[in-house]
Amino acid sequence: MLLFGASITFLVIRAGPLDPVSAILGPQGDPQAYNAIRDQLGLDQPLWQQYIDYMVNMFTLNLGESWVLQPDTSVYSLVVSYAPRTIWLGFWAVLIAIFVGIPLGFYAGLNPNTFSDYIASFGGIVWRAMPNFWLAVILMSVLSQSEKFFFGFNWEGFLYATNVTGPPPLGDLTSVDGFLKALKKIAPAALVLGSASMGNEMRIGRTAVLETVNSNFIETARAKGVPPRSLVWKHIFRNALIPLVPIITGEAFILLGGSVLVESVFDISGIGYLFFQAIKNGDMPLVGSLMFIFILLVVLINIMQDFLYTIIDPRVGYDGGA
Amino acid sequence: MSVDQERDDAPIRERIRENPGPALGWLAGALLLFALEAGAVVHLVTNLLGTPVELPTLLSRDLIPNNGYQTSSGVWKDTFLGLAPAYAWAIRVVLVYAYAFVWMLWLWRGYLVFREHYRYADWTPRDDMIDRLRGHRWGQFGAVIVFGFVILALFAPALGPTTVERTISNPYSHHIEYYNDQGQLENITVGAANLGSRSQGTPDRNVGPMSYDNYGRWHPFGTLPTGKDMFTFMAAGARVSLFIGLISIGVSGFLAAAFALLTAYYKGLVDLVVVIVGDSIMSLPRLLFVMLLSVVLGDTWIADIYSGALVLALIFAGTGWPFLWRSVRGPAMQVSEQEWIDAAKSFGQRPSVTMKKHMAPYILGYLLVYASMTLGGIIVAVAGLSFLGLGINPPTPEWGRAVDIGQSYVTTSSWHISFIPGVMIVLVVTAFNALGDGIRDAIDPQSEGGEGDGAEVAATGGGA
Repeated sequence: MLLFGASITFLVIRAGPLDPVSAILGPQGDPQAYNAIRDQLGLDQPLWQQYIDYMVNMFTLNLGESWVLQPDTSVYSLVVSYAPRTIWLGFWAVLIAIFVGIPLGFYAGLNPNTFSDYIASFGGIVWRAMPNFWLAVILMSVLSQSEKFFFGFNWEGFLYATNVTGPPPLGDLTSVDGFLKALKKIAPAALVLGSASMGNEMRIGRTAVLETVNSNFIETARAKGVPPRSLVWKHIFRNALIPLVPIITGEAFILLGGSVLVESVFDISGIGYLFFQAIKNGDMPLVGSLMFIFILLVVLINIMQDFLYTIIDPRVGYDGGA
Repeated sequence: MSVDQERDDAPIRERIRENPGPALGWLAGALLLFALEAGAVVHLVTNLLGTPVELPTLLSRDLIPNNGYQTSSGVWKDTFLGLAPAYAWAIRVVLVYAYAFVWMLWLWRGYLVFREHYRYADWTPRDDMIDRLRGHRWGQFGAVIVFGFVILALFAPALGPTTVERTISNPYSHHIEYYNDQGQLENITVGAANLGSRSQGTPDRNVGPMSYDNYGRWHPFGTLPTGKDMFTFMAAGARVSLFIGLISIGVSGFLAAAFALLTAYYKGLVDLVVVIVGDSIMSLPRLLFVMLLSVVLGDTWIADIYSGALVLALIFAGTGWPFLWRSVRGPAMQVSEQEWIDAAKSFGQRPSVTMKKHMAPYILGYLLVYASMTLGGIIVAVAGLSFLGLGINPPTPEWGRAVDIGQSYVTTSSWHISFIPGVMIVLVVTAFNALGDGIRDAIDPQSEGGEGDGAEVAATGGGA
């Protein structure tokens, strides 16, 4: 899968009409410099040779250098400088989704067809349909003038003085102060990014709980006199988590895609932003390497998903497959 | 829906020939309805071929104009029956929707005529599905909104208070008349008037929803920061969104169905190849990959068609089919295990016929469900791309761009610029999901939203 994904990426960026040389030189580059750079970058070699070079480099984790965006900077160092903000953002987005979405969904599932269930379900549906970028725009604008909308509550001055936009300060996460500061900075963006998956998790969680509650073994357990508390936590909760695992891991895609939009709205220069800039400027090696990292990430998450299955559901063995 | 695909003994044409009465009656009604709007269709077709031909059309802006000017005594000139532009516009909108609604009813009647006079069987499982859909309030809610959205897109030129040509793409070639402060009739270009009706956040420079500007022009959704009418923008944007959504779903649905049938029928190597290709496409983060493709293909000839809508549609189709295919693969595999497939095989039926006649009907329903849900996701994703400035090229309206344009005005008095498109996206996407839910419950009442994992993810459009 890794191999094929990388191949498709290669095909798109090298065989496509993108021309990095003119991107480096600008539209008025003279032909001699054009050819020199072309030669230097190895673009005059046959396509299959470029392909082999590319694949070998990728799999030996030799990610190359950026050509256009920040010339002569290695992709590796770019990723190291940009990635932490995205990881910080993604971490909180996942946490928000898990710790708000799943409990809400389970609550709705345990109290089906009540008023609060309808509120929660409907909220989940609408929340999910909300485009991330729009939510981000609205939230950003409202928060930056929060005293107007929240009866004098001032978000920017709350706890620490910060702007709503801009990258989070990740300098010292070890101290309480620095941690809270970074957390506050990322909170709106994480809330937005986590929103779509939150709705998903809620809906799936609700159905999963409903299905489990109505299954035979719960009825048996109830007939045996298992106390409700242990029934919910031991029997329902654990079984209802099973269908949620692929949803949670599937969020990786959503987070990667959404990070581009959310980062551009909140002006967080993270990896999604880097990717967007690289695409726009025709920085082929950067795009190729970032794509490769993303694919690698997805594959790793898939492996983690299988591993999670074996923890939550002992019936699934390592050799059985999920 | 009016023509069912059941060719039992005689083809439908012969059945109609035997008893032409009801069919002719229905056809006459349909032709009458069509004649009212024939001018618009003729205009569209001749426009594609070259010079557009103008024919009188019932629901056109020429018959019910809302552009006029107010004299100092408060009387409106040049508008429909001398009504205020707002009412003239409202009448046109109501008429367009009424017309579309009559069409819906007529198509439904056509189905009933078919059911009553031309179908051999008194009852088919499909009747039950339709009955279930009729009792499904949530699905109906979705259907109503989707209907509204589709009509908005189809009749965009007639629904807007003005046209894209007049106010967005070519404002300085068109003129309007109004009474200026000195009480004189003045003739200025639309472009100049737009400069005076800009919405830029301050109360004195804002034309909000449901208001007139200084030139007697009616703006149901207010104006953009450039002074252009936003309802016109939104209607044209709906057209682009629907175009992209339908084309990409059509292509990817066709691919998904074809591959699902082929892999389920032949299994083995074919299956393996499609699984590998599909999985590797799915392993790419979709939204990012779509961005990459839209930039890479941005300079090719295909990107010039409809301001890049076609290339976007194809990109979404190319990256989206594995998801659809995954969701129909299971049902297709199940069908292929059935005895009647085996029977058809041993009977010597050609594989293509077996797939079409005995397998395809079973997966079409599932395809419809996922298609409806994915459509919402595509609309969100296209809006997201346009928001970033990647999707549809600027002169052509797109909802995401309106959100982008209005970004800095959200907390000002020009809040409508970002807010309205966002709310409309939420509504439309929710509606497509609701419709999908409804169809799923109608086709497969036992599922109760059980195995919706794929659709749940698809519906969010890869995080846009």
